[in-house]
Amino acid sequence: MQKVGICGSDVHYWHEGRIGDRFVVTAPMLLGHECSGVVSKLGEGVTHLKVGDRVAIEPHGVCRTCDACKIGRYNLCPNVFFLATPPDSGALARYHVHGADFVFKLPDNVSFEEGALIEPLSVGLHACRRGRLSMGHRVLVCGAGPIGLCAMLSAKAFGVAAVCVTDIDASRLQFAREVGATHTLQIRPGQTEQEVAEEVTKLLGGAPDRTIECSGAQFAVNLGVLATTPGGIFVIVGHGPNKVEFPVVSLVAKEIEILGSFRYINTWQTAIDMIACGKINVAPLVTHRFRLEETLDAFRCAKSGVGVKVMIDCAQG
Amino acid sequence: MSDTNLTAILHKKGDIRLEDCPIPEPGPGQVQLCMQHVGICGSDVHYWQHGYIGDFVVRAPMVLGHEASGIVSKLGEGVTNLNIGDRVAIEPGVPCRRCMDCKKGRYNLCADMKFCATPPYDGNLARYYVHDADFCYKLPDHVSTEEGALLEPLSVGVHACRRAGVTLGSKVLVCGAGPIGLVNLLVAKATGASQVCVTDIDEKRLVMAKEMGADCVVKVTSKDPKEVAAQVIEALGEKPDFTIECSGAPPSTRTAIFATKSGGCVVLVGMGPPSVELPIIDAAVREVDIRGVFRYVNCYPTALNMVASGAVNVKPLITHRFKLEDSIQAFETTLRGEGIKVMIECKK
Repeated sequence: MQKVGICGSDVHYWHEGRIGDRFVVTAPMLLGHECSGVVSKLGEGVTHLKVGDRVAIEPHGVCRTCDACKIGRYNLCPNVFFLATPPDSGALARYHVHGADFVFKLPDNVSFEEGALIEPLSVGLHACRRGRLSMGHRVLVCGAGPIGLCAMLSAKAFGVAAVCVTDIDASRLQFAREVGATHTLQIRPGQTEQEVAEEVTKLLGGAPDRTIECSGAQFAVNLGVLATTPGGIFVIVGHGPNKVEFPVVSLVAKEIEILGSFRYINTWQTAIDMIACGKINVAPLVTHRFRLEETLDAFRCAKSGVGVKVMIDCAQG
Repeated sequence: MSDTNLTAILHKKGDIRLEDCPIPEPGPGQVQLCMQHVGICGSDVHYWQHGYIGDFVVRAPMVLGHEASGIVSKLGEGVTNLNIGDRVAIEPGVPCRRCMDCKKGRYNLCADMKFCATPPYDGNLARYYVHDADFCYKLPDHVSTEEGALLEPLSVGVHACRRAGVTLGSKVLVCGAGPIGLVNLLVAKATGASQVCVTDIDEKRLVMAKEMGADCVVKVTSKDPKEVAAQVIEALGEKPDFTIECSGAPPSTRTAIFATKSGGCVVLVGMGPPSVELPIIDAAVREVDIRGVFRYVNCYPTALNMVASGAVNVKPLITHRFKLEDSIQAFETTLRGEGIKVMIECKK
């Protein structure tokens, strides 16, 4: 293994021992699912990779026989295996074994760090595909954490006209501007969703055609419905409270489509191609680096929220 | 000769033999099937008569048959979706499951597809056969194993109508009234098409098409595709939104384009010569989309639901029945073009 990035879910399992009721840590498990490595051994029948290949790893393992797998939506496979989601162990180690068809060769000009960043980038890419983002769209992204930033980077790569990122944290919005957001808006305490929706519309020069919710905040769910233009699409990525009150009549009257977006499907090669040709630049998202031996410090750093992406170097020596 | 696992094998062009073979054992994820019914497809006949279709060449003896149903007789390791005794329809193509086409949900395009009775892979015209369990679909009690076998051609119709976009209120032209044209007619009507017109050169086939629900039929006599298109438009009262070309005949493909409404779609199901001259400018300037259709993907469950619910009645398609022992006669009957679907009963 070469690089493994820390995700909010890794921190959550470490700190809370569970996410919701479904995913509970009941036995020791490895963390880490945003990763890249070098092929060191081939299993039987592997033909598309060679020992020595630098690769990015898609954390999925899927059954390949169920309806979800057969229709090409393997992220919804009921028997899905996903790194570092209990009881499935992760890849934060010197060595890891993985299904070869979920391992993708990196071109020479894509670094291991960029390879590891393909995972969060894929969440953004998949959300944009789900939302049918396209050239010329005005886009609202709620939340300027790593996922919101990846959604913003993906949206820009689709050729949208503008992306406005909202957050409550000014320093995160500053970072969002540095990595490419065309507009940012800080949500002030006491503001209503309607007020923010109006400000977004003013900033973008029109109501957003597409909204991608990456914060998990109930406020953002309401904002998405109120802000999105009639006939638009609202993609929800963020995991917040499971029951949320939102203006359903506005949704109906405006014929807004609300689409859930879960992890990703078939994004790795696209992400590699976009990074390799320079159309997407994820490298700046890494703000802190640690060695594998310093993993605990890395997790403390990630939990503190001081940076954006904390990257762990797993290579020996 | 013992006939415990009597099997119909195409040894080479023109040479079908019935031989007893060992009963196969199911591997992990597979089931062993006591075969019930297998329909004969034009491709089976083509391999028999010509020894190849395009680049698929019969280089070694190959079991024929791929439109099939069976009863589960043994479970391989790890099989949980079926029980011994289950009556199933068998989707004949098992893809690699790992390539990008498979992962994108278009496994019919998998380059490593293992398809029954497409060389070099054996078909299932035998008493016993083994198949991946997730490609076997349990039939409800009221759906016969003959209907189960017909789910294969019906799935071609489901896939073609989906690719075309046939929906409520559509006006549809189906070119060709053979079994594939007929299943497309059935699916188009079932999925809400308000008018379906069927063309063919054969009067008898058009009579069958009318019996099966065609709103109008056009017998093709002219060699001018524009003239045939005009006849279709007159019969339908307007241009069709969608055309499903099921004959593979070049003049028919040209007719399909001329007839279709601007902004509509022509789907190509029928296979004829590999290269065909088409009125491409007419298609392009009127934005008539041309889409290929290859077999089917994720259609079997839909086809089964349509038959089980009564939305589609496929039983009239079967015009001839034979026992496995008389397979050669069955093939000769099919070659003569006497009926629509020839069905072979495989149980002892």
